[in-house]
Amino acid sequence: MTDITNRRLTRRAILQGATALPLLGIAAPAVLAQGMSKSPNKVLDFLTNADVAKAEQEGQLVFYCHENEAGTAGIMEGFHNDFPKIKTSYVRAQTGALYAKILAERQAGRFDVDVLQLSDLSPAFDFQKKNGYEHYESPESTGYKKDNLSSPNGYFFWTGVDPAGIAYNSEKLTGNAPKGWKDILDSRWKGKISCKISASGLQFVQWYALRKIYGDGFWKEFAKLQPHALDSRVQLFDRLAKGDDMITAVGEYPAYILFKSKGAKVEFVAPPDGLVATPLIVGAVNKAPHPEASKLFVDWAMSKRGQAWYQTNPNLYYGSVRTDAPPMPTGVKLSDFKLLYPNDWDEYASQQAAFLKEWNGILGL
Amino acid sequence: MPPMVASSKPHIEVENLEVNFGAVPAVRGVSFTVAPGQQLTLLGPSGCGKTTTLRAIAGLEKPVGGEIRIDGAPVYSSARQINIPAEKRGLSMVFQSYAIWPHMTVFENVAYGLRVRRTPSAEIAEKVDHALGMVQMRAFAGRRASQLSGGQQQRVALARAFVFSPSVLLFDEPLSNLDAKLRGDMRLELRELQHRLGITSVYVTHDLEEALAMSDRIVVMRDGLVEQIGTPDDIYGLPRSAFVADFVGSANLIRGRHRADLSKDGLIALETAGGQLIYGTAYGRPVGAELTVSVRTVHLQICPQPPPGTPNVWPVRVEKTVFQGDFSQLHVAWGDQHLVVRCAAMEPVPAGSEVYMTVEPRRVVLLAPEAAASA
Amino acid sequence: MERHPRPVSAAAPSAGSFPAQKLAGYGVAAVAAVLVLYPVFYLLQAAFDTGDPVARPPTEYGVDNFAAVFNYPQILLNTLTVSFAATVMALVIGFVMAWILARTNVPGRRVFEQLMVVPYYLTPLLGALAWSMLGQPESGFINQVWRALGGSEHIIDINTAYGIAWVMALFEGSVAFVMIAAVMKSMDPSLEEASQVMGASRLRTMLRVTLPLVIPGILGAAIFVFAEMLGSFAVALVLGLPSRYYVITTAIYQFVQQYPPRIQLAAAMGVSLFAVMFVMLFLYRRVVTSGSYVTITGKAFRPRVVDVGRLRYLLFAVCVLYLLAAVVLPLATLLFASVQKIAVAFPSADNFTLHNFSAAMSMNAARSALGNSLILGFATATIGVPLMGLLAWLIYRSRLPGAGLIEYVVMFPQAVPRLVFAFGMMWAWVVFPIPIYGTMWLLLIAYLTVFLPLGVRTISGVMLQIDKSLEECAQMCGASWTFRTRTVTIPLLWPGLIAAWLLLFIASIRELGASILLMGAHSKVITPAIVESYFGTASELTATLALIQTLVIGAAMIVLVAFTRRVGAHPID
Repeated sequence: MTDITNRRLTRRAILQGATALPLLGIAAPAVLAQGMSKSPNKVLDFLTNADVAKAEQEGQLVFYCHENEAGTAGIMEGFHNDFPKIKTSYVRAQTGALYAKILAERQAGRFDVDVLQLSDLSPAFDFQKKNGYEHYESPESTGYKKDNLSSPNGYFFWTGVDPAGIAYNSEKLTGNAPKGWKDILDSRWKGKISCKISASGLQFVQWYALRKIYGDGFWKEFAKLQPHALDSRVQLFDRLAKGDDMITAVGEYPAYILFKSKGAKVEFVAPPDGLVATPLIVGAVNKAPHPEASKLFVDWAMSKRGQAWYQTNPNLYYGSVRTDAPPMPTGVKLSDFKLLYPNDWDEYASQQAAFLKEWNGILGL
Repeated sequence: MPPMVASSKPHIEVENLEVNFGAVPAVRGVSFTVAPGQQLTLLGPSGCGKTTTLRAIAGLEKPVGGEIRIDGAPVYSSARQINIPAEKRGLSMVFQSYAIWPHMTVFENVAYGLRVRRTPSAEIAEKVDHALGMVQMRAFAGRRASQLSGGQQQRVALARAFVFSPSVLLFDEPLSNLDAKLRGDMRLELRELQHRLGITSVYVTHDLEEALAMSDRIVVMRDGLVEQIGTPDDIYGLPRSAFVADFVGSANLIRGRHRADLSKDGLIALETAGGQLIYGTAYGRPVGAELTVSVRTVHLQICPQPPPGTPNVWPVRVEKTVFQGDFSQLHVAWGDQHLVVRCAAMEPVPAGSEVYMTVEPRRVVLLAPEAAASA
Repeated sequence: MERHPRPVSAAAPSAGSFPAQKLAGYGVAAVAAVLVLYPVFYLLQAAFDTGDPVARPPTEYGVDNFAAVFNYPQILLNTLTVSFAATVMALVIGFVMAWILARTNVPGRRVFEQLMVVPYYLTPLLGALAWSMLGQPESGFINQVWRALGGSEHIIDINTAYGIAWVMALFEGSVAFVMIAAVMKSMDPSLEEASQVMGASRLRTMLRVTLPLVIPGILGAAIFVFAEMLGSFAVALVLGLPSRYYVITTAIYQFVQQYPPRIQLAAAMGVSLFAVMFVMLFLYRRVVTSGSYVTITGKAFRPRVVDVGRLRYLLFAVCVLYLLAAVVLPLATLLFASVQKIAVAFPSADNFTLHNFSAAMSMNAARSALGNSLILGFATATIGVPLMGLLAWLIYRSRLPGAGLIEYVVMFPQAVPRLVFAFGMMWAWVVFPIPIYGTMWLLLIAYLTVFLPLGVRTISGVMLQIDKSLEECAQMCGASWTFRTRTVTIPLLWPGLIAAWLLLFIASIRELGASILLMGAHSKVITPAIVESYFGTASELTATLALIQTLVIGAAMIVLVAFTRRVGAHPID
């Protein structure tokens, strides 16, 4: 891969050189601070290493995101409100489709993306391996635990967490309400239960996690219910609220809050085993057409300001993993939930092909 | 008729022309010439290839063989691989449908050819006015062309065709869409115009009267081939084949054996199967053992008493009389054949009458043998 | 029409018009060939690629992908079921409406005929969205009303094969009406009159004379409509996807969207589908041009109108019913849904809101998509008309050798479902050295390509009505090809060119199958944007978006039609 600007070359060389120096053991940020060509600026109320003036001159940000339309637009709205001179545009598709798209484009020599947000760690790892992410260490990284940053830091971070339990339509429900994950296998849900499509990162996590707990047979039982698969949580809850589905196996907490506030007759169940959760991954993309704007966005998203936006925007309602994040609008903190994450992300990533095969089979493709 | 300058070079020459319509050969080897200032008419039933020939001369059809020369220079030659596009041949054409452009005024229609030739405006105005005057359409100059009647469109088409003084005018059945009365009048006007302008014309029609009235020479065509070329008199009076005889005016065809032993006064004698004897003229055509002669219905005469001094006299019975207005058609029994006689209707001859029929031997025309005629 | 090729001699005086003709003719033919064949090549390449999916160019070739297609018999069966059912429904509707409007004296015939094309303009997507809201088993308004009236469960389920076929027939079936009406209008009424004169009753005449005469035309329409339904995408996407009912086009869409995308399988499916459509269209041409068409003389007759007496009020009601189902009900449904927070059939007072409208208009995608669609519509129509006009001239009027071959190339996209074609384009243009992938330019190219059959057919229809002798006469007056095209051909074609412009404009705005695969961040267009909204936002918001789109496009259409009516009436001199 050839770099475009001299400046990037310099920084990259320095970064690579820095990590090669026998300064192991010293925290990476300190090393980088020496290698930086300038110290972080304060813009609005957060720190950034991006050249804000240049970013505004670039005037654009291209955002590829897995979120539904309103959510993606919402994220962009937040950034644009703070930086009106930067016009935002986005492409949204569910994580699997999105990742396939950006890979195909890059392979054909098209580099049109500034920032990428995914709902699954597996493609994020892959993209990092492929040198797809720009290595940029945000000064706002200090607000995050190492677990919630890429390793090494500077490729991506967890912009939020999307937890999901079970949700059902309280008016249409027949019989007892479900209590735990096993209850979703009840045959009375046949043809009336929904889930996410195979491109969804959250669905992959749920498949992995519940399989680990309940064994391989779990999803085979689930297949017998002929579930309806939806692209986005909004569509899923839309159907749930209207009664087209009675229950959903992937009831995302943010969506539940949103629809409840609209007056929908939906109820949320947090199974005792825990809520499945997927991290939402943001990273600046390599060879971006607007490099300064993309770095600025990363800093903004990582900052308290950006995180507050992610948490409080009704189309997002993410749980923030920033160490100093306030509770979510409902008063609940992410740490109040028992969250089911894969322990070994690498093992998780290696299972993707198996997941896709089984899930597509469940959906008839 | 203007005197034909026999020794002048032909204006248009068509030699062994072959044109295909798709896969079907429409013109299968046609040759003729047109002298300057003459009108040559291509006459024949529909499908005979006359329009195709005309369009080939125009350059609107691409032949597959032969040569077409205008003023000695080839505009199409298969041997020399020449094919000059229609717009460069300097000809002009009047179409059967008139092809008046509805989105232009009458003036603009007529002026088109001059505009193409970049004639200055003043000259255009003058020439168009003159041309419209010649066809009595001056008053309509500013009218939208789509508002004209059929006859008016025809005149405009004509004016348009000669306004730029072409040396050749091609006519593709220009009168066939007009009603009979108008057709008759326009026929004379066209002829008059052609003489006045002295333009060489090639005219296509299936209407016999039109061809006979207007042409200097006629080419009778059938099935893509030439049947006979000649002046109207020749075509009418001396048909070479049964087809021409029957197509150009109504004729009775009589077959029989040549009675060489009964020849006299340079006339040939023909005996029909039924035993009737008729004397005719050979006109230089080959005399074989079996002969066919053509007798025009108008040349047969009916008399109450046998007229003297002619070898062709027979008693006949009138079977049927058909009143046709200007004339009557009598069907008579002649031996074992039926003949048709056309005579003036002034003296009706009732059916059933026993009368005498006669015809001048010079009007009994020997036809060329079938094989030769349709070669 | 085969002619012996005889080159024009160089010795002839320079034939200035011939090079101009040849240049224009072969130039435009080359453009058409590239537009059509380039993506098809890549489509075929992907279908036969049995090597590593990521490697380009392919490492090995084989037919395994086609074998894999048969692993999905349900999808193939679904496609056939839905297409067949939709064709039958469309033919019935089309025949009934054509009969009523062309042959009976039902009041308001003229108006109804104009209104018959409105469903086409509303787009099948909108129809699917609306009928989705009407016909879902639980939340559908019709079913809610049914239950309120005391019924149990539901009375219609729009997510089934027949529900999908119904919506397809309503919104994509108007072409059946147009074709059958044309057949009825081209029938010589004296054929029926002869039957009646001999004493046959009306019914007998209809069964023994009329029906047998129109059957070839109806057969042709059936084949054509079936081919169209095979390639239908929008309705199956909205109504079939959530309930796991896949047809080939939506399956291809899914395969492309998956991670990792199953390009080879999708390509093989696409190629299979278009092979079938190709055969259908070939059959259609055979039926239409076969000799049994004694009734179709090219002249338009005034068909004999049958006085149906009191029956006409019933028939009037039938027409109104159709328009209700296809136009009024869908629009009203969308409006009704757009003003509610959560759309139900019997909303309580606090369920009403105008928030959806403000939300929709503030959606970046909505604004830019509408704008892009209008711009693209203009560009497609304005570039398309001269391009397709030249092609129509090349195929039907010029005598240049090879013109007949170009007709096949130009009509080729007809046989390929838009989605499949776009798939080929996506695959082809992404490797093109000039960076047009993901931009409006790619959409423009895609539209020009898939609309070639539409544009060329429309313009050639008008062109063929112009008497050849009008152009030949100009030739005989000495006009070169460029001169006479400018002064005679174009002015005469002008009303037809304007009509074609409008048609292309509308077609590009309602386009979905090609656009959905080729849209980029900066090149969003409205119909796919609505689909994205359907999958990613609340249905009320989607309904609002669809409504706004219809209003804006409707307004643009009214303006354009009024404008072109003035311009089209006075061709340039």
